[in-house]
Amino acid sequence: MGTSGLVLLGFLLFCLGVFGVLSRRNFIVVLLSAELIFAGAGINFVAFSDLWRNLTGQVFTVFLIAVAAGEAAVGLGLLVALYRLKHSANVDAARDLKG
Amino acid sequence: MAFLWILLAAFIAACALGVVLSRSPITSAVSLLAGFLGVGILYLCLRAEFVAAAQVLVYAGGIMVLYLIGVMFTDSEALRLTRQAHFQAWPAFFLVLALFLWMGHRLYRSEFTAEPPVLRVAVAAGADQEASAKTALAERAGLAKESNPRQVSVALFRDFLYPFEAASVLLTVAVLGGVFLAKKEV
Repeated sequence: MGTSGLVLLGFLLFCLGVFGVLSRRNFIVVLLSAELIFAGAGINFVAFSDLWRNLTGQVFTVFLIAVAAGEAAVGLGLLVALYRLKHSANVDAARDLKG
Repeated sequence: MAFLWILLAAFIAACALGVVLSRSPITSAVSLLAGFLGVGILYLCLRAEFVAAAQVLVYAGGIMVLYLIGVMFTDSEALRLTRQAHFQAWPAFFLVLALFLWMGHRLYRSEFTAEPPVLRVAVAAGADQEASAKTALAERAGLAKESNPRQVSVALFRDFLYPFEAASVLLTVAVLGGVFLAKKEV
């Protein structure tokens, strides 16, 4: 599989992640879909790092994993706060700002 | 060999589909775990051993445990029986399908050359920069004899030291923010 195949796989993961974020009602699954978007970006970085024999892509992937860990921590904090306030993990439960 | 690549890609894509389509959040989480392991294998095949290890340790070992705790905290039979798809699922599906077909077609037809962009830019800029870019490339070729984790650590602690420190600040802030949000009185 050449670089275009890997880029296509990363883009497929990105598309599935966007679809999951837009279409699911459970907040945990929305967060898991966001992780799919991260994974798609990581595959792109590593694919071009391999193509160009350049380590910057791999270093960026390490930073990407760190950012994903931070996102998971904050996302789970939000999940716990949402569940405590609304007794539901449904994203539609958080509609207090709706006019 | 090509068959194995396609098998791995199909496995990762199937796991991603399982995350998005399964009804139960625990199935989604376990499917994502399998997908991350597949991505780790892909990184290994692309000679990114350090990133593969970090992927398995941090994602499969750390982040997935956090998500499973979240599932344990909020999952219930009642939640599973409600409708799982948002009302905007079908518009989102067609939007994403159109994006995938349009962009994927272009990506598939584009050709990626193995020439490093740094040299290409340097050639355009002039002979002086071309020389320095060539020394950088030669240094990189010398480094390429080392093992991958050693190369990544040299890049991480020499060229990317400030982003590395900024990432530690980011993680500290994320932990504090997570604790603050999950506290009793928000």
